[in-house]
Amino acid sequence: MQYPAPISKLIDGFMKLPGIGPKTASRLAFYVLDMKEDDVLEFAKSLVNAKRDLTYCSVCHHITDTDPCRICDDKERDQTVVCVVQDSKDVIAMEKMREYSGLYHVLRGAISPMDGIGPEDINIPDLLKRLQDDQIQEVIVATNPTIEGEATAMYLSRLIKPTGIKVTRIAHGLPIGGDLEYADEVTLSKAMEGRREL
Amino acid sequence: MHIDTLYLKQFRNYKQMGLDVDNTINLILGENAQGKTNMMEAVYVLAFAKSHRTSKDKELIQWEEDFARIEAEISRKTGPLSLEVIISSRGKKTKVNGLEQRKLSEYIGALNVVMFAPEDLNLVKGGPQLRRRFIDMEIGQISPVYLHNLTLYQRVLKQRNQLLKNMFPVPDHEQEMMLDVLTDQLARAAAQVIVRRFSFLRMLAPWSQDIHRQISREKEELSLTYVPTAEVSEGMDLSMIEEKVKEKLMQNRQNEIRRGVTLSGPHRDELSLCINNKEVQTFGSQGQQRTAALSLKLAEIELINDNIGEYPILLLDDVLSELDNHRQSHLLHAIEGKVQTFVTATGVNGVEHQTLKKASTYYAEAGTLRQVK
Ligand SMILES: Nc1ncnc2c1ncn2[C@@H]1O[C@H](COP(=O)(O)OP(=O)(O)OP(=O)(O)O)[C@@H](O)[C@H]1O
Ligand SMILES: [Mg+2]
Ligand SMILES: [Zn+2]
Repeated sequence: MQYPAPISKLIDGFMKLPGIGPKTASRLAFYVLDMKEDDVLEFAKSLVNAKRDLTYCSVCHHITDTDPCRICDDKERDQTVVCVVQDSKDVIAMEKMREYSGLYHVLRGAISPMDGIGPEDINIPDLLKRLQDDQIQEVIVATNPTIEGEATAMYLSRLIKPTGIKVTRIAHGLPIGGDLEYADEVTLSKAMEGRREL
Repeated sequence: MHIDTLYLKQFRNYKQMGLDVDNTINLILGENAQGKTNMMEAVYVLAFAKSHRTSKDKELIQWEEDFARIEAEISRKTGPLSLEVIISSRGKKTKVNGLEQRKLSEYIGALNVVMFAPEDLNLVKGGPQLRRRFIDMEIGQISPVYLHNLTLYQRVLKQRNQLLKNMFPVPDHEQEMMLDVLTDQLARAAAQVIVRRFSFLRMLAPWSQDIHRQISREKEELSLTYVPTAEVSEGMDLSMIEEKVKEKLMQNRQNEIRRGVTLSGPHRDELSLCINNKEVQTFGSQGQQRTAALSLKLAEIELINDNIGEYPILLLDDVLSELDNHRQSHLLHAIEGKVQTFVTATGVNGVEHQTLKKASTYYAEAGTLRQVK
């Protein structure tokens, strides 16, 4: 069926989102047509603003609307510990648990030769620089318990060990193959307590 | 265990087919290309969530359709189970008692199946990958943990092979370090696989030896040996095996970078079979090779019974007519009354054994099955 151009453009837009196929996309598009104009404007504005106002923190690479981010900027936090995660979503999961008060470093990925991702393609060089200037004494590696997450953790350990900084890996009460994002808060805080030296 | 009902929907040439199975021995007759193998394949897929003859799941879906479904009610010692495998262009789903299983390794093992088809007669004389596959499939169905470890191993192996390819011709420092990491990771996974293979063969050996001795009328001693690529042996503990596997990988390092592939590890290990201390792969006659293959399969049935406390389902596709009278008798005698079996043949000629006279008989024709006895 041929849709008028404005609506097929909208459908096309929805289809660019993850997990949305043509059926869902056209359902959403038609729903938008029925919404109040104010609500649509508000929605469009928040989409644009989220994109325009959010950047990655130049220190830890977490998503933020201020640079450096609020976590990096918070002098109350323990400046001697850095927790390394794969994704911004992992920072949010950790923060929900409210047990950790150190700093973060977001890699935005894991090393995977099959996907053409090497150490320099995720924020590892930056992490090393941070470790040189700062007063960091411990790096907690909280990459996902997948093969690639494990390999990244082992790689980091080999890289950082010679500098004399302590490297620990969070214990896995976590399901293998699972993402940190899905781990509930209890498991996460257990995992944090039981971290072992790498 | 016992299959009570089987239902196929849009599976290969079966549009829709329901079957009540009330006998232990079930004979399926039919001309060529009518759906005998397809029906056996369906039972196999129900057990392993994949086919024995193709790695492309989509081929199982009836042409022009978008999904295939296999359902069965089975009885196990622990009680009845209903199983379901659905294959669609988006992937496959497995269900036990209506509940979707998140991981394949959680599903596999619900139904145990041993298949013996003409290509299995090559188990002994064919390439080493056939024997590795045999070992992996069989351990896999009694140990989901093994399946998990094997998948892990294969994934690390892929990563490592890709890295090796990237490293040629001039590796940089980061790559060297990453290779160390993947070598450690691979060795750890390899050790798990190897330990389990050793123990599997240790358990399988006495059964296959016994059975082979009987089929050969006490003349032949069959022995199984695991031939690893690393310097590992039975008795070694996990960490020792890991160490040895790593050692071997280190030795081959330069060579591996040049060739861009991992040259040692479980994916290159071999199973060797000897009759009276002579390797059957090389020196055995065709008859001896067939007997050895049959002994392995029968041993496997006994081993599964030993491990899980009941016999698996046996699928004999087109293989009976390939065996001479003596071997046929032995096979049918071994399963009689205890192993639910599905046998296919194009005609009753060559399969006139006493055991088959008691069988329920079905006739396959153009994607239908009709019970005739
Ligand atoms: N995806 C599919 N959809 C529909 N038909 C299919 C599909 N795949 C295979 N077939 C058909 O199934 C038939 C083969 O069936 P099968 O392999 O079960 O034969 P068979 O009865 O075992 O024959 P033989 O005695 O030669 O071994 C072929 O005619 C083939 O065209
Ligand atoms: Mg066939
Ligand atoms: Zn920050």
